[in-house]
Amino acid sequence: MSALAVARLDLKRLAVRPFAWTLAGIALAMMAWQFLLGVSTFLHAQPTLPGAATEPGFVDAVVSPYLLNYIQLCLIIAPLITMQALAGERRSQRLALLTASGASGAGIVLGKFAARLVFVWLLLVVVATLPLVLSGATHPDWGQFGAALILSALCVAALTAIGIACSAFTPEPALAATAALLIGEGLSLIDAGVRITGGDGGWLGYLALHTHLAPAMRGLVRSEDIVYFLIVIVLALALAVRRVASERERD
Amino acid sequence: MVATPALLELDRVCRRLAGRAVLQDVSFSLHREDVLGLLGVNGAGKSTTLAIIAGVLKPDAGRVRIEGRDMDDDVRALRDRIGWVPERVPLWSELTVSEALEACGRLRGLPKSARKAACERELARLELEAVAHRLCGQVSLGQRRRVGLAQALLHEPDLLVLDEPGNGLDPVQNAQLCDLIGSLSRGRGIILSSHVLAEVAAMCNRVVILHDGRVRHDAKLDASLDDRRGRLEAQFRAIAQPMAAAAA
Repeated sequence: MSALAVARLDLKRLAVRPFAWTLAGIALAMMAWQFLLGVSTFLHAQPTLPGAATEPGFVDAVVSPYLLNYIQLCLIIAPLITMQALAGERRSQRLALLTASGASGAGIVLGKFAARLVFVWLLLVVVATLPLVLSGATHPDWGQFGAALILSALCVAALTAIGIACSAFTPEPALAATAALLIGEGLSLIDAGVRITGGDGGWLGYLALHTHLAPAMRGLVRSEDIVYFLIVIVLALALAVRRVASERERD
Repeated sequence: MVATPALLELDRVCRRLAGRAVLQDVSFSLHREDVLGLLGVNGAGKSTTLAIIAGVLKPDAGRVRIEGRDMDDDVRALRDRIGWVPERVPLWSELTVSEALEACGRLRGLPKSARKAACERELARLELEAVAHRLCGQVSLGQRRRVGLAQALLHEPDLLVLDEPGNGLDPVQNAQLCDLIGSLSRGRGIILSSHVLAEVAAMCNRVVILHDGRVRHDAKLDASLDDRRGRLEAQFRAIAQPMAAAAA
């Protein structure tokens, strides 16, 4: 109940703040540019493709790299949209007000996560609309498109949860954003060295975001990838709940 | 006849903050219709005491009871009986006054019809109708304090906890606050902190003086206002000044 109330309150606050609109505007402008570049490259390359079934289609050549670009952008958007969620509230004593108003630690964290998740998922929906506009002119592989979209949604949810957890552990929004950015970038790049040298990455490879996104971009939804993102989300939110719930005992 | 438990009871409450003992064995009680003034110099432990009563901080030792029920047994249920207004009233500056009240009602779990009625009641009681559609970030300090009070009163709490309610108010607003607290005390208990003696003398019928985190004085104020002010000042000076001199 309190999670729903906190989520509604935060969505309302996000909707009236210029920051969220500016962030959304910049992100969508960048994504539109990326999409146009992708389509342009595809159109130039298309006459040279033999047209065999094994050749990359519209989803392989345009949509998948485009969604991966959105995830790269979310490495920055998620920390920016979550940094004030708990850190800013704590600094302005509004976290204490929420607690005194009867909201539980879990309610506060889940509500704030849900509000920001709505924001990044709405952006994803708008981002995904651009390839859909061209679906009349091309023949996208809907299964592959759906798989890429589902795992992208889970990935940005995981990045948002990490941002919320970082925001729970500090009263400084800038510090929270920096920590979330570093963790996100770390997960994004953790296996880069191993991949460059041709290894399989082992457990480092398992931790990397790329390992769990690549199959979905080829149209494969694996349960282990879904479980990975769910584990990241649950772990991050559990840490945040624990930190907020212990607020009464802290100095 | 079984005596009814006090509305609020603090029993040997201790709390450390940043390695410093802010409260040491603080004990006092409060009954319905009491307006208790918590007096003390800056850093005496007033705000910490009020945050503990509001359920926002947990005491390191000691007990806080609301009508005999221990705060630690069910802090969430007991918070519903308390309305708290901190010193720096935290408002959502992006929301209008009525939206902020609506959000608070929702957080308190009030059903829609009760929430609407409660918001209208508090807007009227605190004379906020004129600014109901103004952003919280654009209201004056006095109005801001009244919005904080309206938020705290939405669920009709039994105990009202006000941290420095008169801070930054002009004399007219202070007089209005005084009348308001008088009317709000009917049927409930109020505890407020201040370091302004005149304010406490005018609003309260009991006073607790805190110094260095300890209760130094706890008494009823039952004389006339002028007598109260004079006695309170003498009492306060007797406690605060020798200690300040000793510390120097």
